[in-house]
Amino acid sequence: MKNTITQTIRYEHSPEEVWEYLTKPELISQWLMPNNFEPVKGHDFEFRTKPIPSLNLDGIMYCRVIEIVPNEKLIYSWKGGPEKGITTLDTIVEWTLEAKDNGTELHLVQTGFNEENISIFSAMQGGWNQNLNKIITLLSTATK
Amino acid sequence: MNAPRLDTFQVIADPSRRQILHMLTQDSMTINSLAENFDMSRPAVSKHIKILYGAGFISIEDIGRERYCTLKEDGFKDLQEWLKFFDDFWKSKLKKLETLLNKNQKNKTK
Repeated sequence: MKNTITQTIRYEHSPEEVWEYLTKPELISQWLMPNNFEPVKGHDFEFRTKPIPSLNLDGIMYCRVIEIVPNEKLIYSWKGGPEKGITTLDTIVEWTLEAKDNGTELHLVQTGFNEENISIFSAMQGGWNQNLNKIITLLSTATK
Repeated sequence: MNAPRLDTFQVIADPSRRQILHMLTQDSMTINSLAENFDMSRPAVSKHIKILYGAGFISIEDIGRERYCTLKEDGFKDLQEWLKFFDDFWKSKLKKLETLLNKNQKNKTK
């Protein structure tokens, strides 16, 4: 099972133009979410949206700028949870801009979806049938 | 079974519970044999098992005099939901950005 989200989209605009939409709060809020982003490494900021009860998220994403290379790369943490102080979603969002054929290829990678949990999940899927067989054997032995 | 109802991520946040799940990926185990792997008391292990059970991570079967714990798929669905949600989320947001950029360009060339 994957634990990373990757997306690539091509825009017919220069990296400089796309960059503005990734780093200017008023422009970011036009396509993503209201925020108080600042293009400064170490800056803490928040994205605010409606609560998402199905995912047990209160709708506030707590973020920190980790790396920023103008027109090329932007990395920030992306955390959330059911209420302030409780982090259940702990991920990193990484944007990379690549100039290509008079446009920009924008890459997005979001990582960290509880890697340990996912590893349990993968291990489980591997052993799934085996486990089922075991319990069937046990059950049939018990009823003998 | 009375155990506090925690969400999926709180359930797996605990190292002992994670260890229990890891052990169960190998095989079904009795509560007693699980408890042997921990320094804590059997009731303490039992409590963790109840929490895992309550969140749908394991099923418990009484076989003879023993209680067998087996991994169950239900508890892991939330994790997949989360990934799916953000996958769709970014897809639609990036499209929105495209629309916005195009609109902006038209205004410029006017």
